[in-house]
This record gives sequence, structure tokens and C-alpha cells, in this order.
Amino acid sequence: MTLTTVKLTLTVNGEQVGPVDVPETMMMQDFLHEYLGLTGSRMGCGQGICHACTVIVEKEDGSLSEMRTCITGVQWFAGRKVRTVEGHARRDGDGAITELSPVQRAFIEHFSFQCGYCTPGFVAAATVFLDGLKKKPVRRDALEQAISDALGKHICRCTGYVRYFEAVRDLALKTPGLVEA
Amino acid sequence: MRTAFTRRNFLKAGIVAGVAIKISSLPQRVEARLIETPPKPGSDWLNAKGKPNYRLDAIAKVTGEKTFSRDYRARDLDGWPQAQSHAFLLHATRTDRAFAGIDLTLLGEDLQPDRVVLHEDLVADGIEIPVPGFYGDVFLVPNGQTARLLGQPVALLVYHDFARYDAAKRRVRFDDTVVRYGEAAPSTTPGHYAAARYVRIDGGDPYAEDRYSSLKETVIRAGFAGDEPQWPAAGAADPMARGMAAAAEIGKEIAAAGEDVLVLKRSYFSQSIDASAMEADNGNVWYDPSTGILRAMIATQSPYEVAEVSAHMLSKSAHPLREIDLKVGYTVGYGTKDHTIFPFFCVLAGLYGEGRPVRLANDRYEQFQTGLKRHAFWMDNVLAIDRKTGKFRAMTGTYRNDGGGRENFSASVGAVGATAAQSIYYLPKSDFSAATVASRAVDAGSTRGYGTLQTMAATEMMLDEAAELLGMDAMDLRLANILRSGMKNTQGAIPAGAMRHEEIIERARAHPLWRERESRKAAFEAENPGKKYGVGYGHVQKDYGTGAEAALAALSFDAGGRLSFAHVAHEMGTGTTTAQAIMVADILGVAPDDTEYGRVKWPQMPLNTKDQPYTTPQDEEDRLKLDPRWTPSFTSPMSASNSVYYLGHATREAARLLVELAVWPAAKALWSRGIGGGQMAPEAVRREDLRLAGGMVNAAGLQPLAFADVAAEAHRQGLVTGITVHTFNRWQWAEAEFDLGDGPRRFAIDALAVRYGEGALAERKALMTLDGWHFVDRNAAFYPPVQRNNAGVTYYAPMATLAEVVVDTATGDVSLLSHHSIMDCGTHVVPELVSGQVQGGLAMGIGHVLKEYLPLYEDGPGDGTWNWNRYELPMASDVAVWSQTVDFLPPLSDTDPPRGMAEVVMIAVVPAVANAITHATGKRFYSLPITPEKILEALA
Repeated sequence: MTLTTVKLTLTVNGEQVGPVDVPETMMMQDFLHEYLGLTGSRMGCGQGICHACTVIVEKEDGSLSEMRTCITGVQWFAGRKVRTVEGHARRDGDGAITELSPVQRAFIEHFSFQCGYCTPGFVAAATVFLDGLKKKPVRRDALEQAISDALGKHICRCTGYVRYFEAVRDLALKTPGLVEA
Repeated sequence: MRTAFTRRNFLKAGIVAGVAIKISSLPQRVEARLIETPPKPGSDWLNAKGKPNYRLDAIAKVTGEKTFSRDYRARDLDGWPQAQSHAFLLHATRTDRAFAGIDLTLLGEDLQPDRVVLHEDLVADGIEIPVPGFYGDVFLVPNGQTARLLGQPVALLVYHDFARYDAAKRRVRFDDTVVRYGEAAPSTTPGHYAAARYVRIDGGDPYAEDRYSSLKETVIRAGFAGDEPQWPAAGAADPMARGMAAAAEIGKEIAAAGEDVLVLKRSYFSQSIDASAMEADNGNVWYDPSTGILRAMIATQSPYEVAEVSAHMLSKSAHPLREIDLKVGYTVGYGTKDHTIFPFFCVLAGLYGEGRPVRLANDRYEQFQTGLKRHAFWMDNVLAIDRKTGKFRAMTGTYRNDGGGRENFSASVGAVGATAAQSIYYLPKSDFSAATVASRAVDAGSTRGYGTLQTMAATEMMLDEAAELLGMDAMDLRLANILRSGMKNTQGAIPAGAMRHEEIIERARAHPLWRERESRKAAFEAENPGKKYGVGYGHVQKDYGTGAEAALAALSFDAGGRLSFAHVAHEMGTGTTTAQAIMVADILGVAPDDTEYGRVKWPQMPLNTKDQPYTTPQDEEDRLKLDPRWTPSFTSPMSASNSVYYLGHATREAARLLVELAVWPAAKALWSRGIGGGQMAPEAVRREDLRLAGGMVNAAGLQPLAFADVAAEAHRQGLVTGITVHTFNRWQWAEAEFDLGDGPRRFAIDALAVRYGEGALAERKALMTLDGWHFVDRNAAFYPPVQRNNAGVTYYAPMATLAEVVVDTATGDVSLLSHHSIMDCGTHVVPELVSGQVQGGLAMGIGHVLKEYLPLYEDGPGDGTWNWNRYELPMASDVAVWSQTVDFLPPLSDTDPPRGMAEVVMIAVVPAVANAITHATGKRFYSLPITPEKILEALA
């Protein structure tokens, strides 16, 4: 057999990547890790179960969606805008972090993670969830269930999920416009 | 407890047998250090009270920085080449036929590996398995022989580029034509491993001298004949014979029990599970044959062991070795990255990289196939209870745990399980034995719980059934039998400190979940036809530590008061790096400005050790300890819930000594300035008046001093300004006496090095010959007696859980509505980390009791097809994420030490859920996990 390559161009964390030759069968996760050195989107299962590899795809209309990179071929991302966990915080010209995203800030203040391996997937899921609430707020009495639905497929082996979920709830409640009485 | 079965002891046994390596020479050529993980925490990480606003590693982890070993490639490591190779292993999935080579035809021409390594290559190059027995006998299955265990690697394939590696690995996955097998051949699975027995008969009451106990006499050990342990004959001639006589006496008494005694005999099974640490095993190794330097970056809980054993592994090989430089990133393993064979496969890969760095990283299928498992346990319990009083008269437990095809810590896990079986109860007579057997299963090892989850869960399930049979309230039955302060455990040792089980039980029985369980059950079931409601309780205590806990920590400050801290501990997710820094702040009133974790190179501690803490005879230890540089063990891995108490002890002692030797004398000097003894003279200020908090030094009503000013004064006077300690614990702390020029002082450490301030006299500075430190020879050392090894354990943390479940009688599904836990873990260093451990442990326990299961043999994980699609981990919807609470007993005093609790937190919920399902359904379950299928079968 022969390894067939394709030319790939996409946007990752606001910067254009490519065109670059990549094997057509390569998964996005391996491209991020081995070609771009972005190892934050983690390999957990390689089958789309654990969601540790999840990144955000920024759509043309400005909305956000989650995408698992361990089971999605790199070609699917051609021409698309991707935000990995490395792209959430603001950084200065040297790449040093100057400000965490609200979700990242909530997670660290709630001591949400332990080993932190699954954290990038939870950052992506919570960011997409809260972004969705901006357009479609949730009733207060439905908030916990909405969080469970949004984050419920992500696996964490250390924390029992409690501090992730509580962090998202607190952030939703203190961010104006996301939760209706 | 790791008893006498540690890797180190096997290693030493090898030396005694003539293996040509001198361990004492290894530390000089072994260097391990933690990657400095950017970005550092911001200036806001501590609040005004000196407590953390977030974890020390929080920003790095939440922004996706390279933190785990798995995140690193050669290009990320200083001094390594940019380009690297990648490797993967091919595995045997059957053990009944001889391995007959590999066939890579399906890879075509362009995906052929750049290098294939087989067992025969290792033989030719003189590479042997390190620590034979513990890690098996061969890395790769020899051609013509059967695999020792399912999933054992047969070949290593190295690729010099990632793309071909990736494509090839995906191509061969699940393909059963690549590994070829020949004719049926004899089994090569090792013989059964070991058996240990703990027998005790008290002296008439819990406080009298025991008639027989393992602490007083011995642990009884046995080999096997066939599948059965061959225990020594009963008699009076020696401690083991007397122990067997005591066991026989207990057996006879139970057999002769009359109507006034309930003799309950039950058998339980606890399944094998995969710890499923999300970071799978991995490592990068670069071996440069021209220099003989082996550089490695490997995920491990035991870096010192990996470096040392790697050197041992190469000592007789064709690969010259001059130096090992091991780096470790953050990792996570729940015990399964402690003393596992995988790092040595990484070293193998590095040796065959043709001078290039090689990365070996398991995918999840491979991790299931080769990662250490939690042991399956088969447990036969007998409990004799006085029907009138509910008092336990005697208990016996006969346990068998399957260690799979490499021994690893399996015998130790069996023994620890046996010593934990008493759970929270006092037993006047007990006989617990563990037979650790070998099989072709994937090897099991140190996994969170370490045998105790299995045996204690069984005891708690049995307690619940006994109460029902006796017609007693389960809490009353517990109270009649709890282990109280000063009573002995089943090894005959008195546990450390207060036993607070009664407080926990009283809180639990007053909780609405328990108090109202019958009325809630009636109301729920009336409203929900087809669903059954139940509440269950589980209450356990878990030992922490190994009986040979050693650690090092160093604290020093400069003339500007900048505090530097270094420790052997490294981060496994539990938050130890945060907690150690906070312990410093709690004592010194300032947190370290610079921290370094995972340090293995300690030039200021030139200690001599044979690392035989469990097996050195007392008379030899008495002789060895006269050498002021001797210690039983240099350092411990990150395991056994050891960080906050044991590793923290080194931190706390270093900080306390800095207070005694630097802060207090320097502050006194500042307060005494001026005529007539200054502002201090009119006051009766004592050492105990000293308070350090918020960066200030206070005592009585004296002028508050900034820590930085005190530090400057200590430097000006040439006082001690840096402390390095080595600590050792054998179920009690080693102590030693030192003289720093002002008379002998005794501390709970066994080695000390100090650094003197800038103003020190020249002759003092001349003593600082070891990397700027003065190693202070101790005058005398006081080690806990060797016999204390037989105590098994003296440090416990208790936890209880109430679980509220609903069982759907149509589907057998169990839903956890809520749970409430109560625990005592002493002082909380960082409360958020403590509650996080509880929440996480509960989830893992819920997985064990309801979901997680691995078959042991041909259809099990060794076949390479297991992943999280069929192995169900607990999800948020399984753990009552919004309806769980925990209640901590307040510390007994402000000096109540923190207790190791990373394992106990996952255990109580196992019997709690099992007992709740029984309350709901009226059926008892003796085999875990309790799946919907088992429930439906029981209800049919």
C-alpha cells in the first residue's frame, strides 16, 4: 500500500495553517499533536467515547460546536476554523497568558480537575454550552439538567464530575443573560 | 503495606545470587528531575489567608500546556534532537500455542518498520528482564514458546517517521494474521506466587497482651502444592507452628459453636478492573551509543525505581551506559504506574532507535491489553457472632487473588487485603489468609485500594446480612463491635491515634437518609410502581503508607526572604504539589517562592542504603545505623495514599526545623536589640508564643516583623538558613539526635543537612561542601524495631457512605439518587483538594460496584479489543453529581495530622450501594459488579 497525502489548509486558534501535506487517513488529533505540537486535545480512547480530544469548530455564523478529533479525519477540518484548548486564553506577543477565558477561570477557582487530562474536553464543552445559552437562555430550574446534558458524555476518572459541573453552574448564574428566572 | 515483596527486595536477592551490579554505585549516575512546567501560577494563587485560590498546576493544566509525560516529544526536550522515531508492540493473544514469528505482509512495502526487535535480539545484546520474577522472565515471547500471559508483547516495531508508524499501527490493529502461532505447547505461566496468613488470639480483652499475633510472633507464609497453599504444621516449636496451632484453635471453636452463636459463612467475588487512568502508559527514550547516555521522559509514579532499574537492566548488555537522565512529567495512574514493566519497554525502544529518540505510547486498546489491573479476589468468610450480645467472637477469611502472568506486587496486595478484612471491627480471634495465584491473565498490581476494597466491601456486605439474620439494627451491630482507640488490629498492632468510628456511626444513623429509610421506601414505591427504593450503608477504614516510607525535602531562604522548596514528590493529580507548598505556608507563614518537585538528585544527602527496609534483621540494622549516613530506604514512590502524611512529614519537619534554627533565634535577636535586652526584655516571651502567618513573625505583644526582615537577620548572623531532611517511617517515625553546636537535639527525621547564612564564620561555611550544604552527622538514630514490619499497618483513615438507590424491576437498572459520606481525615491542608478526592473516589467506587468488569482470560483485555465502548466507566449521570454530600469530622486539635485518604474514599460506597440494592430488592448479591442482568436473575 502507499501512503496518499493531501494538501490541507485550515485555521487553528486564529492562525492559518498550511497548505501542508498530510496523509489522507490521519486523524485530526494526530495532526494537532505531531504536526502542530498542540498536545492539549488529549488521546483518551481513540474511539470517540471519552471526549478528551474535543475541540471547538467556529462556524461562519459565529456559533460554536464540539468536534472529537480522535475519530474525525484531518480532511474534515479543511477550510474550517478550529479552537483548541491552547487557544482559549488571551496571550501576549510572546505567547504568555494574560487572561484566562471565563470557563478556564471558573474551572481553576472551583478546583474542578485533578490530573487534568480530560480538562481540555470539558473546557470545550462548557464553552460551547455557555455560548449556546447566550442565544437561548435556560430556565433556572432546568439549568442543572442542561449542564448534565451538555457535559454528560465527557469522561473524567479523577473528580467524579462534581466540581466541573458546579463551576459551569456558577458561571452560568453569574453571567448576565444566560439563565432566566 | 508492601511487606517483604517489594521490587527492591527482589533486586537485592538477585545481587545476593551473584548478579553483577552494585546498587550503591547507581545513584551517582542516575539523575531524575521533573520538567519545570510552564506557566507558573500567577501572583494571585494564594489568598490573604495563605490558602490557594487555585492549584499550583491549575493554569498549566487548564490552558493545555505540556504537563503530562504524554504531551512531550523529543523536540520539546532540551538538548534532544528534533526528529524522532515511534514504536509500537505486537502482542500475543493466546497462550496455548507457541509463538512462531510475525508476518508483516499486510503492511506492504512502504509500511515495513525500520527496525524489528524480537526476543532473540535482546538475548544477543545481553538484555535481560530487570528484577526477574517481579517483572516476569522475558520482555518478548521467545520464538517457539508460549506467551507467559495474554497480551504479552512478541515484537517491537520501530518507525523513523510518524506518518508510516501511524498508518502501520492502524493497519495491524485487530488483525489476527500478524502474530503467528505454531503447535500447542506447554504453558509458561509462572507458578503461584505466595501465601500469607495473619492469625491472632487476644489475651482475654482488647487491651491485654495477645496470646498470639503476627506482630508478636510472625506472619505465617507458605508455598503451594498444586493450587493450594501448603501451610506449616501446627505445633509449638516455632512462631509459624504456634500460629497454625492458634488458627486450628479458632477453627475448632467455630466448628463447635452452639445455638447461642450465629456462624455465618459466605463467599464473595470482586472482579478485575482496569484503572483507566486517562493518560495511557508512554515514554520517550533517547539512547546515544556514542556517549553512553540514556535520556528518558517516561510517565511513572516511581521515577527513582525506573532510573535505578533501567541502569540494572543495561548493566550486562552490549549497550554501554554511562548515565541515565530521566525526566518525568505530571502523570496519573491510581497506582498502576507504580512499578510497572512499561517504562522498561520504553527503554528497550530507545536502545533500538539507532541513535534517535523513540516514543512508545499505548493507545487505549494497548493500555487495556497491558496496563496493570486491579486483582480479582475470591473470598470465603466465616463470622461467628454471639446471638445475645451481637459481639463478634471470631472471624476467618480465606482469600485468593489472581495476579496474572507477572508477579508484580500481587502477593503484597493479597496480604494487604487479608489484613484489611476486619474492616472497622474488633475481632478477639481472627485468621485471615491470602493465596496469591498466577494465571495467564494480564498482570495485576498496585491499584487504588490495594486489595482492601475487595475484602472490606465483602465484610461490610456480610455485616449487613448478619444484622438481618440476628434481627438487629445494622448500626447497633456495628457499634457492638467497632474497633475503638487503643484496641488492636488483626495483626496485633495498636492503630495510631483516635479511632472515631462511633462518631461516624452516630452521624450516619441520625442522617435523614438512614433515619427515614423505611418511610421513604414506602412512599417512593407507592408512587413508582415497578421501582424499588433502598438505602445502604458501608463503613470502612483504609491504611495508608507502606511500612517503609522515606522522603526528602529541602527548604531554604535567601537574604531577601525568598523561600525555595524542593521535594521528591511529584504530581499525580491529587494536588500534592499544592498541598506541600501550603504545608510550608501553614508553618512558616509564607509560601515558597520557588518550588521544585520530583527531585531525585540530592547531593547534600550522601546516604548509604541497601533499600531493604523489610528484610534487614534487627541485629544487622542495629549495626548499620551506627553509620550516620545509613538509612533503611532512600525514597518512596508516589503511591499508597502517602503524600499528605508521609511525604508531608518531610515538608513539615523541614519547615519546623527552619523555625527552630532560624526564624526564632533571628526574631529574638531583632526583638532584643537595644539597651537592656530591647523590647523583649520586659515581657516573658516563650517559644510557644511565636506565631507565623501572613508573611509576618509575631510573638506576644512584640513589634511584628516581616518574614523577609527575619530572614535577613538570620543571614546576617550566619544562622541556619536552609534545611534538608530525610525521613523514614516503619509504622512509626524514625528519630535521630543531632548537635549543631548548641547541644544535642532530637528530631523526627533520620538525616539532616543545613545551609548557613551569608554572615556565617568561615569555618562554618567551610562545612558546606555538598552543593553548598553541610551534612550533619547524627549522634544517634532511633529506628522503629524491625518486628514492627509485622504490624501490617498502624495508620488508618475511616470513611462511611450512605447510598440511596432505585432499582427498576423491569430492566434491572440501578439509579443512584443521592449519597452522603462521613469521614475523618484529620486536618485538611487544602479543603478543596480533600473534597475533590472524596468526590472522585466515590465515582470510582460506584464504577466498581455497578459497572466495571473485565473477564480474566481469552475474552478479556489481553485480546487487544477492549476500550471504553464496552468497558463502562461511571459517567456523571451515574454518580448523583448534583445530590451528593460529605461531612467531615472536625480535627481533634489544631495539631491533628492530615491523613492519607486517596484510597479509602472509593471503598465505602461499594458495600453501601450493594446493601442499598438489598434493601430495595430483598436480594443479596455476592459477586461484583451488580449488573442489571444479575438483578433481573435474582428477581425472576
